[in-house]
Amino acid sequence: MQVAYYPGCTLASKAKAFDQTARWVAQKLDVELIELPQWQCCGGLVPQVTDTVMGLLAPIRILADAQAISDRLMTLCSFCYNTLKRANFAFQRDSERRQKVTDFLEQQYDGNLKVVHMLELIRDEIGFDTVRSKVTKPLTGVRVAPYYGCLLLRPPKEIGLDDPEDPTVMEQLLEALGCEVVDFPRKVECCGSFMIAHRPELAAQCSTTILRSASSFGAQLLVTSCPLCQFNLDWQQMRMLESNGEISPVPVIYFTQLMALAMGAEPHLLGFEQHLVDPRPTVMELGL
Amino acid sequence: MKQLAEQIARTDEVPILLTEEAQKFTQEVIGRSGERVDWCYQCGKCTAGCPVTFAMDIEPSRVMRLVQLGQEERVLRSKAIWLCVGCQTCTTRCPQEIDIAKVMDTLREMATEKGYAADREVVTFFKSFLDNIRKYGRTFEPMLVFQYNLKSGHLFQDADKAPLLLSKGKLPMRPSKGSMSVQRIFDALEGNKR
Repeated sequence: MQVAYYPGCTLASKAKAFDQTARWVAQKLDVELIELPQWQCCGGLVPQVTDTVMGLLAPIRILADAQAISDRLMTLCSFCYNTLKRANFAFQRDSERRQKVTDFLEQQYDGNLKVVHMLELIRDEIGFDTVRSKVTKPLTGVRVAPYYGCLLLRPPKEIGLDDPEDPTVMEQLLEALGCEVVDFPRKVECCGSFMIAHRPELAAQCSTTILRSASSFGAQLLVTSCPLCQFNLDWQQMRMLESNGEISPVPVIYFTQLMALAMGAEPHLLGFEQHLVDPRPTVMELGL
Repeated sequence: MKQLAEQIARTDEVPILLTEEAQKFTQEVIGRSGERVDWCYQCGKCTAGCPVTFAMDIEPSRVMRLVQLGQEERVLRSKAIWLCVGCQTCTTRCPQEIDIAKVMDTLREMATEKGYAADREVVTFFKSFLDNIRKYGRTFEPMLVFQYNLKSGHLFQDADKAPLLLSKGKLPMRPSKGSMSVQRIFDALEGNKR
């Protein structure tokens, strides 16, 4: 299976571990990821500002480039996924904005590309049974809590990946890897997002609530698909562990890192050294 | 959207007698966002689900009510509209299917246009973010942080994080290679503003 791939800025910088494990896992699952030859930022949250054409232009250019390669574009970062999918949605339905964007585009795009998240690709096309068959190191008894955050799921009418209040795609994946799934009530709550830049004290409060909840439900690892969630929870957790012992460490890793671990990737490929709260002691303690 | 605003103006769907000025504000918000703020019946689900309610001066459901009542200044001057991070929980849960996050977005646009932008820091952050993309094509965080700190006056915010982040490979020294056409597009768009 061949799929166009858009890594996005964070996966080329802060979240390299996410990118490298995803590529490794894709290869194991016989998916050929074709990275767009030249790509720029998708625009983050800016494209959602409704009165601007500029916002739509960045994501639509990416979709146009992808269409030259494949009929679908896979991405991993929740921000990029949300932005690209919503831009596509607007382009397909809002003829006025579509026309304006087309005038500036410098290339052709017909709106028919499908934007998919790797989780979607695994669930709908590859199948959890295939994942299960590739597991060489089942994570039996490891208590993992899936954390979805916001942008992977909402707004549901435009994203439609899963149930916005009680999603199950990551749970199913974790089961295929042999984990014990920890369901905790804050799994779709916001981590504080980009407030980490301009109101860090508020982002800290949001992240703390999520971490306390996951910890109190007995999670040993938290799994996410968003580099910003990962950073916020990792950063806040490091500070909580430094200042007091109110929680035991719950390292926050990407779902692709956990997949690579269960599928027997060499430890140096996992990128655990890039985390602020190091997952290696936990992983070692669990005998993995 | 204009039609929608006119329809509301024609009928007496706005149940409380408002001054013409106040009605104008309500209709402008509805017209620009395309969202029926007038359908809100104050169930409070948005406020209950919002992750930043605790820090807001006016909760989301009250923002909706104040828009219905045409309280332009109170709404556009509020800090609340700038604390919304667009997590879409309110939008997802609203029983009247009002896209509340989009309304917040419209209110931020209006506050900026009318000179009310109370929390300038987030505006500064977004401007720094766009400048960063214009220059590099991709986000280059070290420059983004530097520029934001310089402009917002928080000169040393997060400076203590730098050595740790550097050692974890989270602060690249060079921007990753983006597309140079981005600058051209920014320029083209600025020559063609609405």
